[in-house]
Amino acid sequence: MQIFPLHPFTPPGDVPALRQQVRDLITAHEPRWTIEQRADTWFGNDAEFSRALGTAGLLGMTWPKQYGGHERSMLERYIVLEELLAGGAPAGLHWIADRQTGPLLLRYGTEEQREKYLPGMARGETYACIGLSEPNSGSDLASVRTFARKTLEGWRVNGQKVWTSGAHHCHAALTLLRTEEGSERQQGLSQLMIDLDTPGVTVRPIIDMAGRHHFNEIFFDDALVPLGALVGTEGQGWKQVTAELALERSGPERYLSSHLLLIALIDAVGPEPAPDVAQLIGRLTAEMWTLRQMSLSTAAKLAAGEDPVVEAAIVKDLGNAYEQALPRLVQAAVEVDLAGPSDLSRLLAWFLLTSPSFSLRGGTPEVLRGIIAKGLGLR
Amino acid sequence: MSENRTLLVEMAEGLFADLSGAEFASAWPRVAEAGFASLLVPADAGGFGGDWGDVLAVLRLAGLNALAAPLAEPILAHHLLAQAGIAAPEGLLTIAAPGQRVPFARHADGIVRAGDGAVALYLPGSYSVTQGTSPAGEPWDAVDFTGEPVASVASDIDLLALGAFARVAQASGALEAAFTLSIDHVNTRVQFGRALAKFQAVQQALAEFSEEAAAVDASAAACAAALDHGDAGFEIAAAKLRTGIAIDRSVPIAHRVHGAIGFTIEYALNHHTRRLMGWRSEFGSDSFWAERLGRAVAKLGGKGLWHEVAARTDRQVAASG
Repeated sequence: MQIFPLHPFTPPGDVPALRQQVRDLITAHEPRWTIEQRADTWFGNDAEFSRALGTAGLLGMTWPKQYGGHERSMLERYIVLEELLAGGAPAGLHWIADRQTGPLLLRYGTEEQREKYLPGMARGETYACIGLSEPNSGSDLASVRTFARKTLEGWRVNGQKVWTSGAHHCHAALTLLRTEEGSERQQGLSQLMIDLDTPGVTVRPIIDMAGRHHFNEIFFDDALVPLGALVGTEGQGWKQVTAELALERSGPERYLSSHLLLIALIDAVGPEPAPDVAQLIGRLTAEMWTLRQMSLSTAAKLAAGEDPVVEAAIVKDLGNAYEQALPRLVQAAVEVDLAGPSDLSRLLAWFLLTSPSFSLRGGTPEVLRGIIAKGLGLR
Repeated sequence: MSENRTLLVEMAEGLFADLSGAEFASAWPRVAEAGFASLLVPADAGGFGGDWGDVLAVLRLAGLNALAAPLAEPILAHHLLAQAGIAAPEGLLTIAAPGQRVPFARHADGIVRAGDGAVALYLPGSYSVTQGTSPAGEPWDAVDFTGEPVASVASDIDLLALGAFARVAQASGALEAAFTLSIDHVNTRVQFGRALAKFQAVQQALAEFSEEAAAVDASAAACAAALDHGDAGFEIAAAKLRTGIAIDRSVPIAHRVHGAIGFTIEYALNHHTRRLMGWRSEFGSDSFWAERLGRAVAKLGGKGLWHEVAARTDRQVAASG
């Protein structure tokens, strides 16, 4: 059994021209970005840049035109993503809406929901976040307790979500809740698209160890959410949400998160590095190149309608391990003043503090390896 | 996959499975008879007219079955001769890359040497062989070229890289074989009242193993695609290095989950792990390829690295479209 047969990545159209379009947009906007803002890539914020991508037709690329999309291929979208990440563009505001929430609404949402949210998402103006984790439900997502009671006026929501990235910038949260009283585990869960300006919904910041405000808590205090906010089928939330997770695991954001530091290392040591530094650059390049082949192949499988659950978990686990090891390997190999003003100094200091988060978003290594082991027939 | 590839793979699968466990003396005549050596020789020159994807497919199967006969060496030797326009002699041909031992030299009817700007064919009598043995117990001979080649043609072909690709391809098969043995073992071996596979620590270790095998498969396939495009210097450097890393990470897992059973000469695991250990040193070590790749990347510059990586797959998309 070949574990990872490579699927050819053959996007339509003029691929170099598409890359150049993204690179030109980055060049036009980069003068005002700080190095830390760039290092945050798919968590970084620049509303004007998100709008510019929307105007250029680079958001909602695969969606139908009637909802503001552009009906392009998933592989063309992949190229845009990898260029944004490798180019260090702060593309966080729209990232989740474009990657996950929009496609999920297209698949399961009502006509009203699609018309309400998708055009704004495709313009780069409407942002979404994902309400999954709770104080007592982290990796064990099936234990969520936030409850939505169905009434004649709408859903009465009570409970709390936590670790919700970007909620303070977002307009709506696609939230996994329990809608059947007394239900357990994967049963009785549903997804509601909840506007964050709904009375009774409060977003509070959680500052991370790098001093950033990405995480939030969302409190639901008897919030009244319209009945029309139900996405998909009542009680089918678990199935819908796990399909959503498969979409997010194999993308280029799973191995390129610290690519800016590799760029800074190469530029700092120049064209004739010492042998040990040349070897480190070679090693990081080999890992990055291999991960890209694996990620491209998995994207091609997804585009072909396959469901590469194990491959996606492999890409994420290996990719996270690489992007997390990169700052540590650079620190071990090169003398860097962590309080210094150079790009290399600032980026190394930044990634040492932020990289622990790379493997906790979207499934920990242990969870991913459990999925792989299941795929291998071991459990 | 071409129709030719399907037939080729079926033939190789059957033959190599049949030869699994056979020694060189009984395996080589069967491999020679099957004609794999001419895989890369153009059809109009009497060869199979295959591509590098075909080479990957058969070398992977050779690795999977721990084939004791030379396969990569004659395929590459005949390829070099065909490229150089030198007529190939009968019998087993092997290869001599700069600074490398010459696999199976003691059994060879000729050695194709590439390096220093030339491809040259040496026949027995024009070199002396000092026998050596690989970690897998295979002939890893040292050759002293004392006489003149029968033919020599100017060429800048990088045989070290082609040899490295061959070992990546074989390693992808050997890793799968070692992985399959490991899975079978943990599913059947019962300790503490349950199969080893039911222990989470064992599951996690094997998941990690599968990731490494997957990385080698992906890198091998990407190399073959680049070779078919005509230029794979970057890809082979990255793939040989990544394969070295994968061997480093996964061979210990294979042995760990097998316990003492996997450490015996009778049990098949060593047929694969010993070859993997040897291949890691052959045709350039991890550090050799890391430095070569790193120096090339340093010259590209930070942004240039990504532009190069993207352009190298885009050219293949353009060619296929």
